[in-house]
Amino acid sequence: MVKIESSAALFLDESGAMSIAQLVEQSGLSEAELQVLVDCGALEPRDEAAGSWRFSSRCIVTARTARRLRDDFALDDVHAVAIVLRFMQRIEALERQLRDLEARGRH
Amino acid sequence: MKYKDYYAALGVERTAKPADIKAAYRKLARKYHPDVSKETGAEEKFKEVAEAYETLKDPEKRAAYDELGRHAPGDEFRPPPGWRQSPGEPSFSFDDVDLADLFAGISGRTRGGRRAPNAPMPGQDFEAAVRLTFDQAYKGTEIELDMAVAEPDENGFLRRVPRKIRVRVPKGVTDGQKLRVPGKGGKGANGGRDGDLYLDIEVQSHPLYRAEGLDLYMDLPLAPWEAVLGASVDVPTPAGRVTLKVPPGTHAGQKLRLAGRGLSRADGSSGHLYAVAQIAVPTVIDDRQRALFAQLKEASAFDPRAHMVD
Repeated sequence: MVKIESSAALFLDESGAMSIAQLVEQSGLSEAELQVLVDCGALEPRDEAAGSWRFSSRCIVTARTARRLRDDFALDDVHAVAIVLRFMQRIEALERQLRDLEARGRH
Repeated sequence: MKYKDYYAALGVERTAKPADIKAAYRKLARKYHPDVSKETGAEEKFKEVAEAYETLKDPEKRAAYDELGRHAPGDEFRPPPGWRQSPGEPSFSFDDVDLADLFAGISGRTRGGRRAPNAPMPGQDFEAAVRLTFDQAYKGTEIELDMAVAEPDENGFLRRVPRKIRVRVPKGVTDGQKLRVPGKGGKGANGGRDGDLYLDIEVQSHPLYRAEGLDLYMDLPLAPWEAVLGASVDVPTPAGRVTLKVPPGTHAGQKLRLAGRGLSRADGSSGHLYAVAQIAVPTVIDDRQRALFAQLKEASAFDPRAHMVD
């Protein structure tokens, strides 16, 4: 039996810092599209004021979702993608709050 | 190779116009897209729909699909002799070829190749759903994923090859979290980078512990006298049993913190375990206990509803 080497899975959270070029490569979105997502507040660079943006690794999840929405729903306008993303983020935040309230107490 | 009825997947006639195919796809995508749907089995359903649309939206691929003839879904079949993608040898086996992969090369080639033939092609990213027990999430674990990966054979034909991927899941993952395994997606071609593997983590609920981020919560039933007098109680934690000091006058809903006993991660971050006090009362009591409670009632001036007085 061949020994299969195991690989480490990495958290996609607030840690890590990648450039916009890396985010382009890993999300499949163009730099211009990422720019729109940042302008609309759907994607937040770590330090927006800085000359060159750095993104936490959580942004990969958001950018990949944006790419899927763009492709799967044939949304040509990335502004539409940004609006959908903002709604999804609000729903996720509400779901998280609900889960947290359930966790705190079932009374 | 198993036949799939792409028209049936989209719910359209074989004579449907491109606009009807697009409309049918959009309607089903809104219903089943895993990013927007909460229906069970939505992801599988969407995959079928997307695969069907991928082929039928492209006139070239649709024509090639139609030339395969009509078969019952799930039936084993092979493309007719001379069909465009056939390698020409009658002995060629289609056993582990997936219908979806059969069309993959068609339009890229006929559209005049916007991509140079030797340009670097990044590998495909893979996604996998992973279900962990609470214990696995708490301690970290190693999992083995069985994937069917499309890889080109010596004729350039994409075949579904079984591939085992072993992944170390770090401790402290939570439900709904995504993890990335760099380089474990599809192989890149012509020097393109390998794709990544993304894991969607689901953590099964635990009968005692409920997670909120890295913090854990559990209910702690107390007898009335334990809540009033205080007590040292033996409680379970994911790392083993500990003694918890319940202070005198503990009320229902009060959170007693067991510092650092929540989930923890390799980077040193950790959460707490909160025991949420509940007052449990005995439902069966004997005469002596009833007399003692009656005595307590006489002796006490405590009014739990004082705040309800107008």
